Amino acid sequence: MSDPALLELDNISKYYGNIIALTGVTTSVNAGEVTCVLGDNGAGKSTFIKIIAGAHQQSEGTLRVEGQEVMFDSPRDALELGIATVYQDLAVVPLMSVWRNFFLGAEPTRGWGPFRRVDQEKASGIAKDEMAKMGIDIRDTEQAVGTLSGGERQSVAIARAAYFGAKVLILDEPTSALGVKQSGVVLKYIIEARNRGLGVIFITHNPNHAWPVGDRFLILNRGKSMGNFAKDEITRDELIMMMAGGAELEELTKELEAASAGDESLAHLAEEFAEEFHELEERVEDDDH
Amino acid sequence: MTTTAPAAEAAAAPDERLAYRGPIQRLLIRPEIGALIGAAVIWVFFWAVTDVFGTTAGVNNYLDVSASLGIMSIAVALLMIGGEFDLSSGAITGATGMLVVLLVKEVGEFGGAGFPLSVAIPLTLIFALIIGWANGTLVEKTALPSFIVTLATFFILRGAKLGFAKLFTDKVIVEGLNDAPDHGFWENVFGAVWIRNDHVWDSFLGGRNVVYGVLLTVGALLLIVGVLELMFQRRETPAQARMPVAVVGFAAGVLGLILLAATDGTSDNWLWGIVLAAGGAVGMYGMGAWRYERRADSSAAVNLTGRVGRNVAMGGGAIALGVVLGLILDAESQTEIGFLLTVQGFRAIAYAGLIITGVILLLGAARSAGKTSARTQLAITSMAAAAIVVVAFIVQSQADSRKFRAEFFAVIIGAAVLMLAFGVLRSTFVERRKPDAVADKRGRTLAMTGIAVAFTGLAVRLMWATTFENETIRGEVRWRIAVFYFIGFAIVASYLLLRTKFGSWTFAVGGNKNAARQVGVPAARTKTILFMIVSAAGWLVGMLIAFRLNSVQANVGDGNEFFYIIAAVVGGNLLTGGYGSVIGASIGAVIMAMSFQGIPFAGWNSDWRFLFVGAILLLAVLVNNYVRAKAEAAS
Repeated sequence: MSDPALLELDNISKYYGNIIALTGVTTSVNAGEVTCVLGDNGAGKSTFIKIIAGAHQQSEGTLRVEGQEVMFDSPRDALELGIATVYQDLAVVPLMSVWRNFFLGAEPTRGWGPFRRVDQEKASGIAKDEMAKMGIDIRDTEQAVGTLSGGERQSVAIARAAYFGAKVLILDEPTSALGVKQSGVVLKYIIEARNRGLGVIFITHNPNHAWPVGDRFLILNRGKSMGNFAKDEITRDELIMMMAGGAELEELTKELEAASAGDESLAHLAEEFAEEFHELEERVEDDDH
Repeated sequence: MTTTAPAAEAAAAPDERLAYRGPIQRLLIRPEIGALIGAAVIWVFFWAVTDVFGTTAGVNNYLDVSASLGIMSIAVALLMIGGEFDLSSGAITGATGMLVVLLVKEVGEFGGAGFPLSVAIPLTLIFALIIGWANGTLVEKTALPSFIVTLATFFILRGAKLGFAKLFTDKVIVEGLNDAPDHGFWENVFGAVWIRNDHVWDSFLGGRNVVYGVLLTVGALLLIVGVLELMFQRRETPAQARMPVAVVGFAAGVLGLILLAATDGTSDNWLWGIVLAAGGAVGMYGMGAWRYERRADSSAAVNLTGRVGRNVAMGGGAIALGVVLGLILDAESQTEIGFLLTVQGFRAIAYAGLIITGVILLLGAARSAGKTSARTQLAITSMAAAAIVVVAFIVQSQADSRKFRAEFFAVIIGAAVLMLAFGVLRSTFVERRKPDAVADKRGRTLAMTGIAVAFTGLAVRLMWATTFENETIRGEVRWRIAVFYFIGFAIVASYLLLRTKFGSWTFAVGGNKNAARQVGVPAARTKTILFMIVSAAGWLVGMLIAFRLNSVQANVGDGNEFFYIIAAVVGGNLLTGGYGSVIGASIGAVIMAMSFQGIPFAGWNSDWRFLFVGAILLLAVLVNNYVRAKAEAAS
């Protein structure tokens, strides 16, 4: 690749005192690509976001934006370089209208002095157009964001970030609180954003959501990078296996079997769990051959 | 977050789920709407039971009371939308009033500083702003609830007021603001009174009432045309040939009204009443034929079965029972029948209650019938209108005051005609179910212009007295400058909230502070400025109090913070922040003032007024809860 990646992380580590939150993480995101960051609870995903969003500084390693080495002091620094973060539950103000949410903090104005007022027509028109580009027809931009579905609310935040010149979009678990259908809606918007030339970092604990949209996968487990793969270097099943930590999963299966002694329903569960685990293992082996 | 997953899953595709909400329905979920309805109900109630309430002197009286309450409620509402409370907002009004008096007292005497007012007044404002800044900064820096921080400020101010008053004057009052050398100039700024009793307007242009009536009519006409434009589906090409019908009809209606106003409301006004009603109805129908799409299903047969039929029967029964009770009970009897009620009182309550219930039931039935059969809807609406007309004539024949015989009668008949006309239009033309930006804009402009014109008419009525009023009403019409500050502040604050960046940020920090901060809204600064707006409003009210009495008692304003909060809540402002309106808070303040003043006007013991306020607050909160549930339906 001749062009430098939009965002590159090289061997990033983060320590909070004596706690090692993240070690040796390396990945990158290119324009028009989706990099998925996968990990179970406590894998270090939040620390990872905080470093690239500028909320925390890495303890070791280098961060490069379009080839330039950077160190963020605040989220504003990251924002200025075009790195926008959409947090899952703080993305929008539910009781405010769509257009007010869209332009919150960056309202276009007209007039001067005491008559400097928000240009509602312009703001409302742009919000409508930008949402339409994401494939959502907002008929009335005056309607409260709270009346939109969960997926659409996320997409308001995504469209907003894209409109305000984000080059890299970090999405913090956008699908975790959503049902199957709504998750599908959000995945569609992720692809939409990618097609518009943005680099997307999609953080999730659900490999089934990551696999269809991702071009690159970073797998975190207990603060360690389990690998950084392009899509053609890994299969879906390997991804699931690595994410849960294959060895741990095996351990869990055994524990469940031991605990189920004397409890019929639990025993049944343990059996199913073991079966599924072996199936997964076999599939991974098949893929390897 | 996990609990929201099933709800999100259950939701179907957004397009089917989100029904189109027309401008009328959108109006109904505005935060002010509950307060507006409440204000209308309370106004009509006190208008009916007292003589003075509807006159210029009466309006003057309760607007005067609402002014200082309203200025503060507006500021408190802004802060509340920003998600915070200020319990020191009452005490600061007294504190600034007292401080300005102390600052202008001569040096040595009562520890005064001997400043001229031109120095003392700005210094007092700075003091108020510092209090507000301190409240805001403490709340932001410590992340303590504003409830606690401002409770502390409240007690500090309260203690300081009493302590300093006693220390300097040995009394609980500081007096002598009028000793200041430049008192005359500043009295014009904060204490001006405009006595309007001498401004009698009887004859020029036919007198005040005709001008008032014409403006009100033009306003109502514009409002009706605007509402029609918002409600109905436009034809692709208007049928221009029908336009004259609309114009002639409306012109006849206006003519009828002018002539009706010229009669004294007792003799031959029925003829002009009919001209007005027929003209208005023909005008509306003509407008429909000219501009709107016809309904295709208007020929479905009348169907009065099932729930619709039951509701029609119940509604008709209630109205009939009300009329019968009204006829058999003695309207003059003062015999007590228990629960503090006389026969007369019971008759009035049963009469009004049963008839209103009946009409509401009929209209509800009409609405649900309208989904299947336009004719049924029209039939039921006509029944309701006919019932109202009958009641109007009964009222007219029995009433012994001009108020009921002429004004009330005209309003009721007008309401019945409007109801019928809208019923006919709805069953004949297609109601709009899709967005239409052009029609929305035109309709809204017309309706807003209509409201503005009608308010101008109202202002004409309030600014001038008539000889009749001067002769019959005790008391003076004294417009204090406070009322103009109230109106001006309401306009400025509403502009600030709805049209500026700061307003957007206010909604955002109250609705979801973290999200606001995330996108770069200076949350702490926004909240601190809101606290400073409250204390600056407190300063304004403090000045108004000080200049009104030239003295300030140590306990002035203490405890009023609850009235400010109540007025804001009654006006549809959400206690939890993020939602509300300045206009709502202003109406809330007027509601409170109307109930405070209406109770003594009616000759009742004013000890009951707190019961009244409590009931209003409870009702308002219930309505707000309902609205919030609607606005946040999907989350």
